[in-house]
Amino acid sequence: MFDNQPEHSIGGTGADRAALSAAGLHKAYGATVALEHADISLVAGKVHALLGENGAGKSTLVRILTGAVAPDAGGMMLNGKPYAPHSLLDARTRKVATAFQELSLIPNLSVAQNLLLPNLPRAFASMVSTRRTLEAGAEILARHGLDRIDPAAEVGRLALADRQRIEITRAIDNAGQVLILDEPTASLAETDWLFDQIRKATQRGVAVLYISHRLAEVREICTEATVLRNGTTIASVDLGDASDGDIFEMMVGRKFAHQRKPRVMRSASGEAARLAVMDLCGHDLQDMSFELRPGEILGVAALEGQGQQELFRMLVGIERPHSGRIEVDGAPVKFSGPRDALKIGSGIAYLPEERKTEGIFSGLSAATNVVLPVMGQAARGILISHGREISVAQAAADRVEMNPRYLSFPIGDLSGGNQQKALIARTLATGAQTLLLFDPSRGVDVGTKQSIYAAIRAFADDGGAVLFYSSELPEIVQLADRCLALYGGRITRRFKGAEITEQSLVAAMLGHVTPEITEGVLA
Amino acid sequence: MTEVQLQQPAFHDSRPGLVTRLLTGAGLIVMVYVLLYVLYAVQQPKALTSYSIAALINNTAPLALAAAGQAIIVISRGFDLSVAGVISICNVVLAVYPLEGPGGAAVSVLICLAIGAAVGVMNGYLVAVLKLQSIAATLATMIICQGIALVILKAPGGSVAEWISYEMTDRLWGVIPVSGLVLSAVLLIWMVLRRTSFGISLYAIGADESAAALSGINTTRVRLLAHVVAGCAYGLAGFMLSAQTATGNPSAGTPLLMLTFAAVALGGTSLSGGRGGIFATMAGAATLTLLQKVLFSAGIASFYTGMFQGAVLILAVVFSAFLVRLGDRK
Repeated sequence: MFDNQPEHSIGGTGADRAALSAAGLHKAYGATVALEHADISLVAGKVHALLGENGAGKSTLVRILTGAVAPDAGGMMLNGKPYAPHSLLDARTRKVATAFQELSLIPNLSVAQNLLLPNLPRAFASMVSTRRTLEAGAEILARHGLDRIDPAAEVGRLALADRQRIEITRAIDNAGQVLILDEPTASLAETDWLFDQIRKATQRGVAVLYISHRLAEVREICTEATVLRNGTTIASVDLGDASDGDIFEMMVGRKFAHQRKPRVMRSASGEAARLAVMDLCGHDLQDMSFELRPGEILGVAALEGQGQQELFRMLVGIERPHSGRIEVDGAPVKFSGPRDALKIGSGIAYLPEERKTEGIFSGLSAATNVVLPVMGQAARGILISHGREISVAQAAADRVEMNPRYLSFPIGDLSGGNQQKALIARTLATGAQTLLLFDPSRGVDVGTKQSIYAAIRAFADDGGAVLFYSSELPEIVQLADRCLALYGGRITRRFKGAEITEQSLVAAMLGHVTPEITEGVLA
Repeated sequence: MTEVQLQQPAFHDSRPGLVTRLLTGAGLIVMVYVLLYVLYAVQQPKALTSYSIAALINNTAPLALAAAGQAIIVISRGFDLSVAGVISICNVVLAVYPLEGPGGAAVSVLICLAIGAAVGVMNGYLVAVLKLQSIAATLATMIICQGIALVILKAPGGSVAEWISYEMTDRLWGVIPVSGLVLSAVLLIWMVLRRTSFGISLYAIGADESAAALSGINTTRVRLLAHVVAGCAYGLAGFMLSAQTATGNPSAGTPLLMLTFAAVALGGTSLSGGRGGIFATMAGAATLTLLQKVLFSAGIASFYTGMFQGAVLILAVVFSAFLVRLGDRK
């Protein structure tokens, strides 16, 4: 029925003011329908948000708009002319440029070369002029308020946040008509610079498509939003008229309570701590001491790079502390690695930070990914039984509300949210009684988040202990029974129950050491 | 003024220090080479005469040229086994169809370049267009080329044109070795090439092919061209090898195959792509050849050479990895 829509409906009523409009876009990869029926219309000089859960089809829509893939059905118009880019470069010549979430910078080239590719200024004999490349690069950087970055610096040596800024700068510089920003704040601590650049672009009359999970940001910079669900455009709304609840409802089809859910903690004082850390030092960490008891969810709040990575990696034996003690179930331990950590005492399972590089094995099925640490359970004799693999994985997948039909798919083909669910299912499947979760809901949508939170709570209710770090404060507020704030490798403050509020966490994360460390250094 | 001063430190942090750059790039292998040469000169006082320098460079040229081609492929994150096949074909063609005189030599060079380019186009088509894994695709072309070489010349024999075998191993004005000039010319071409869009793209696709494609680089074209350029280098290597041996052998290229990878690795070119260069690779090749000479003049039987070459390779790779890690720590 969608195919019968008349052509003139493209752009709708505002055909004259729509810079880029798409109607009835459809895209399937084999049997998987990535995009069912998407419509979107961007207005020149306005910032338009694209919202949706992971797997809703946002990435596919972006790929179509940028010319990376061609739609199976549907059409696009750019300033009243048909628009069907057959490559990224083609889209760029039509002045549609994109800053990708998984940055598209080349690590071993200089900042200037990255900014100017593929058209580097020439000197004689078709050689590239280094001087003019640097000059042009410096000029672009200066124009976007990044003159502190050296145009000759190798991109791979820059901090992640600067790399993201370069990616965004390059897109803005190439975007004469349409600018697409896919999760532009994933690695940026603050949005001031980004929003300044976006405002400058919109003043030039550029239409901006802004994709982000962070609704507060979206509200700050965007005026309109299109919500995708299951590959279909649910609605395009004026953000001024829609409450957060409305938007969540459109995204997931049900309303969420976002308040903190009070949990009845098991009386833990009598039991030995599952995990106790005493005076842990090394790799930027100083005098780290805390305890994690059965039935407890302990949050770690910190800005990027305050020692949280090192802490988690030390607790599973990937890195070694210089001094201090780690005790599991009351006995001092020394880990040689994550495999060892799983076996010691009641077991510690670790969810690493980088899903793509440290987590999934993209060619293997989701079920295999889940049962990997406990392959023995899925074996008959020495052979792995596919049926048992599925049934073992199934049990864990149920705990994170993962749709069982995904289990036999290669995990690389699943959405980010489902990959993350599978990884959490993996930590649960190990049977370990202590989970170390590093940013468990990194880059996943609201619905998946709630499933993950429910799984973590259920695990703790059954007597499990959870230590988690999150880059999102609301997550800590919702989930943690207690919380440690880290700054510069030290615990600056400890919070308990109702003390955990976003405001107090922010202060502690910025290093405001307060004299209220009531728990003492050693519990 | 104050702003400028504030910006300065940030600029410097982003580049590695001079010492690290010297030791991790070509500097390390050149130092190893110089040390080895001192050792050689101590053993053989004649080592410093222009005759033995020329002989050494003559011996080095085939491997250095073959390794230079290999380095281009490795920089773009690939492997090329066809190097052995191309050298073998060139060698047997020059031995079976000798063309005398300078004109004949010029035609011979062109034939070798054409053979290399043709195999390169085939490799490029398989790897860049059909997206086959380079190691599998070039293994196939290598086997085909070896077969062709056997068809042209069944057993070792034939003889290369005298003009080639004499002039290409000679010295100009009794001092400058011709093979050295060939190597310098190739280096010069590379220095221009690496500063063209093609050169920059080569490093880009080696580091991250999908990012390179997203940056608007035509990765298919660059990869195809890389195989053609590498093929020409192999062809030239085959030509210089023929000048050296003066005879034909259908498996002439085989001993060079693994040594090209050793030279690339010795030169500090990362086998995972995106880093390295031709000069360092040639220095790596020169070191492997010089090592042979040093061992020979020390009276060590030639079957031990391989063991020493392997050990030097391991040491160089371990040492450069250690230096890189040291650089990252800072």
